[in-house]
Amino acid sequence: MSLDAAKNAYTVGKSYGEIDNDILNPVEGFPEKRWWTWFTISLTGLLVYLGVIGYSFVKGLGIFGINSPVNWGVYIIGLVFWLEIGHAGTMISAILYLFRQRWRTSINRAAEAMTIFAVTTAALLPLIHLGRPWMVNWLFPYPNDRGPLWNNFNSPLLWDVYAISTYFTVSLFFWYMGLLPDFAAMRDRAVLGRNQLKAKTAIGEKLLDMRVWLLKVAALGWVGSGKAWHHYEKMVMLLAALATPLVMSVQSILSFDFVTSVVPGWHSTILPINFITGSIYSGFAMVLSLVIIMRSAFNMKAYITDRHIDNLGWVMLFTGMLVFFGYFIELFMAYYSANDFEQYVWTYRFVGDYAWAFWLTMVTILLPPHIMWFKKLRNNHTLLFIMTVIINIGMWFERFVITVTPVARDFLPSSWRLYVPTVWDVIVVLGEFAMFFTFFLLFVRVLPSIAFTEVKMDEAGDLAKGKGHH
Amino acid sequence: MPSFKEIKEGLFSYEEVDSGYVVRVKDAHDLLEAAKKVRDAGINRFDTFAPFPIHGMSEAMGLKRSWLPFITLIGGITGFTANISYIGYITLIDWPIIYGGKGFFNFPSMFPLFFEIMILFASLSTVGGFMALSGMGSINRKPPISEATSDGFAIWIGDAMPESEVKKILGSLAMEIRSVN
Repeated sequence: MSLDAAKNAYTVGKSYGEIDNDILNPVEGFPEKRWWTWFTISLTGLLVYLGVIGYSFVKGLGIFGINSPVNWGVYIIGLVFWLEIGHAGTMISAILYLFRQRWRTSINRAAEAMTIFAVTTAALLPLIHLGRPWMVNWLFPYPNDRGPLWNNFNSPLLWDVYAISTYFTVSLFFWYMGLLPDFAAMRDRAVLGRNQLKAKTAIGEKLLDMRVWLLKVAALGWVGSGKAWHHYEKMVMLLAALATPLVMSVQSILSFDFVTSVVPGWHSTILPINFITGSIYSGFAMVLSLVIIMRSAFNMKAYITDRHIDNLGWVMLFTGMLVFFGYFIELFMAYYSANDFEQYVWTYRFVGDYAWAFWLTMVTILLPPHIMWFKKLRNNHTLLFIMTVIINIGMWFERFVITVTPVARDFLPSSWRLYVPTVWDVIVVLGEFAMFFTFFLLFVRVLPSIAFTEVKMDEAGDLAKGKGHH
Repeated sequence: MPSFKEIKEGLFSYEEVDSGYVVRVKDAHDLLEAAKKVRDAGINRFDTFAPFPIHGMSEAMGLKRSWLPFITLIGGITGFTANISYIGYITLIDWPIIYGGKGFFNFPSMFPLFFEIMILFASLSTVGGFMALSGMGSINRKPPISEATSDGFAIWIGDAMPESEVKKILGSLAMEIRSVN
């Protein structure tokens, strides 16, 4: 087989040194004005968000629109929304790894970063929703002087504590271990470049030394030894194999918060599956929007090719139809069960107080991915970007409908009450996005946003194939 | 059943570059060939350095199977049983109380907890095991050639021998031979 024949849609075709330079360029240079603009906006949003959280601690949860039947407002909607976004990152980094999908290489670092930041954003929300966040330690079962007062181990809310903290820890380690060889490469570049760099001031010199030292610590003494690679590859495989059932379990456990209640519309065995398909859908939408921006901002078209964007789009079309199927089955079961309460939930969704949110959801999540059927439309990346943003707005409202409609009208008409978000709720929702984007903007400037070690590995594989070795 | 020596070799294979020669080679393919030659020459202490994992390198170097999966298994079993014991102690001995009529120690409804802690322990022991097995943690360690993390490939031969012997083993693969120290 010739070298050209071995080339595929994902081959970068650059030397290893050029790959390093390309990917580390945004990290080693000084950010341009455009980045500072977006960063200032996000950071301001984050600070406002933290201010509102502080205000809610002082004033109490009464400032938000939550009330007695609708106890879970934007906080739990946000928790579900962000966790589901995070899960797509693990899908890409772990499940596509196990399936040996070559195209994950260029996007997995960004997707995993998205996971970490989304889970951080999500995990903050229930803590604020506790009402007394300074008692957060009560969530963990440790020997204490309060009786001892233990947790209720039968409660899905406690399962959530376990699931989310485990998920965060495992994702963080998985991400960091993937970064390890990249850190080592950055360290060696920094050590070499340190001799040529000269800062104007003594503090500048200190900072440059500190950068080298930090990279040394981060790289943990990785030198690319064959014996270490031997264990390393096993470890990545094992972590991927552990993360796969973990991500499924976290998503299911999150849905158990709803499912184990006896509220019609929540008390349904299809919800875990719906949460998983929904999470792939909204998460891939988020990955796709981030990747489209990243690729044009940092000129990474050689690494994130049109095929990558295309693949992400096809996954979204597929999962979008799965989400539709889930909705259809839920509706059908409500009809077929002949259960008055179950049917009322759907009637209420169709024509009730929140019908606008329900129909908005239906239109924004079910229609957009179908542009993938048309070649002209799917090759237009601006259009794809708009599609992903619309889908994510739709998925947020989907969580809104799922969380609010069943409890706003439950069994007793005397306890029916509407959930009307206040201005503080709106600030919290926008603040979540500001927090996420602040982290992500920092990430693209501090860490390599493409796993270049893996890119090099794939390139070497192509080369070996071209020479006819394997 | 592997012997104790085999287990030990499979566990702690990493060695510091402290003697012998570092030989630079052209690319990943040459490194693979060099590793095969060095292994066939019966050299005990040697290692390869590359910026990315090379397909087939473990076999070429004749490395023993990694014991990492075993460490993961032990971690997982430890987490699972430790959490069952802990929650069992709490709900059966320390403060038995019935929630929602489910009994004191209700295995199905507590299974998610056992599962999550199992995954947590398994993952942490995998990461910890990897760090121990591949000698991570000495932050001042330098790669034998500075490009080894970017685009350089090198093989280290730790056994004491004259340079001509190294040349004989590697032949035309060797681009540059440098003695350590």
